[in-house]
Amino acid sequence: MFLSVGVRFEANVEALNMVETAGNYSKHRRVPYLVEEDGKLKTVYVPALSGENLAHAYQEHLAREALSLNLPVCDDCRRGEFYKSMNRVHLEKKVSPIPGEPAKIEEAIVKACVVEDVGGFLYAENPPVRRSSAFQVSYALPVKSMALFATSEPQLHARHAQMDSSSKKGNASEQMIYYVEIGTALYGFTFNLDLDAIGVSAITSEPILDENEIKARRDAAVKALFRMLSSAQFGAKLSRFFPVGGIKEVAVAVTEHPFVVTSPIYDDYILKTERRLKVLKDFGEDYLFTAATEDRVPEEALKETVEYLKQKGAL
Amino acid sequence: MPEYEGIVKMLRFFVQTKNLGYVDRIGNALNPGPVEVTLHEALRAFRSIRENATVGEDGRRYVEKDGEKIPVPGIPSEDEVRAFLDAVRSDIGVAKRVATLALAYPSRKEGGDE
Ligand SMILES: [Zn+2]
Repeated sequence: MFLSVGVRFEANVEALNMVETAGNYSKHRRVPYLVEEDGKLKTVYVPALSGENLAHAYQEHLAREALSLNLPVCDDCRRGEFYKSMNRVHLEKKVSPIPGEPAKIEEAIVKACVVEDVGGFLYAENPPVRRSSAFQVSYALPVKSMALFATSEPQLHARHAQMDSSSKKGNASEQMIYYVEIGTALYGFTFNLDLDAIGVSAITSEPILDENEIKARRDAAVKALFRMLSSAQFGAKLSRFFPVGGIKEVAVAVTEHPFVVTSPIYDDYILKTERRLKVLKDFGEDYLFTAATEDRVPEEALKETVEYLKQKGAL
Repeated sequence: MPEYEGIVKMLRFFVQTKNLGYVDRIGNALNPGPVEVTLHEALRAFRSIRENATVGEDGRRYVEKDGEKIPVPGIPSEDEVRAFLDAVRSDIGVAKRVATLALAYPSRKEGGDE
């Protein structure tokens, strides 16, 4: 089964994705964006969150959910350091001696770590072994109709240190000013999860784990997403720039085969997704589509999704 | 392109500190918009770096990166920036040439401050 979620969240004064620090200036990620204004197309630079940023948060939640279900997570992933068995040094912590065939290497990694099972890995040795991620996540970008109102702004802050009595004026660093660029926008992003890829070899397409463990891992993968959305624990600088706002809308589609919801950056994404799904039904494919907008909270839609997945025997 | 030497030197400084983002965005721009935005960002970052740079005994500014002293050149002048942006608006190829020069090995030993 394939899960696709469109999320809209409002974030005021956020520093969820900082890209570089130059001197005392730390900059928010920005991307070029094509918008239409008065019938003319133009490029504007808008604040954004990278997919990498969201994926990192998701995998941290995944590690936690997996552990709470007594599923295996390797030491690196437990710490939120997603090296993903990139070389011998990291792989040897999981399996020693390292097997010679790619399929055996993949099997060993998948068995040892849920994060690498779901999030994929690249073992860059001889032989190289690659496993694609079972989840996909887009950049979070301002909703198109409001992109021109999105903004990033530097905020001035000061850091104080106790003054050293011997320090002379001019070279004392008792105070340092710095700027943090914050973003404000209504963002949209898409998250996909291919439940059929979990616990299954990407090389042989055969299951690596028994059915119960696969179901438990899918459960962890779905819960991790819901936890991430519900808790708004994604992105950086939450300790002092926890975004003011929250999840405004979600739209979830569960299908037999891959199907991606229309991007939530478009205002009519829920309607469009529904129309696209109806065509799918004509092909005899069953699906669930549920959305949470104004009067429904996101958790309600997410709960309905879990129930549907259970009823279909996927969890 | 001696008329844009200040901008080239600034971009070259970013190249030397292994920050290729600005030079790539200016060199790969397809229209003047991104060049203007990138130059603005580069100047803003550069100012900040320059203010926080160490002043050496010879009075020149430098930053240390991986144990290497990299001199910080001067800030490009307003006139130069204006002339550059005007040139880019009439020919985007100017941006590519400036970025290319910034990536090239400097032809003579450069000082920090000026
Ligand atoms: Zn792991």
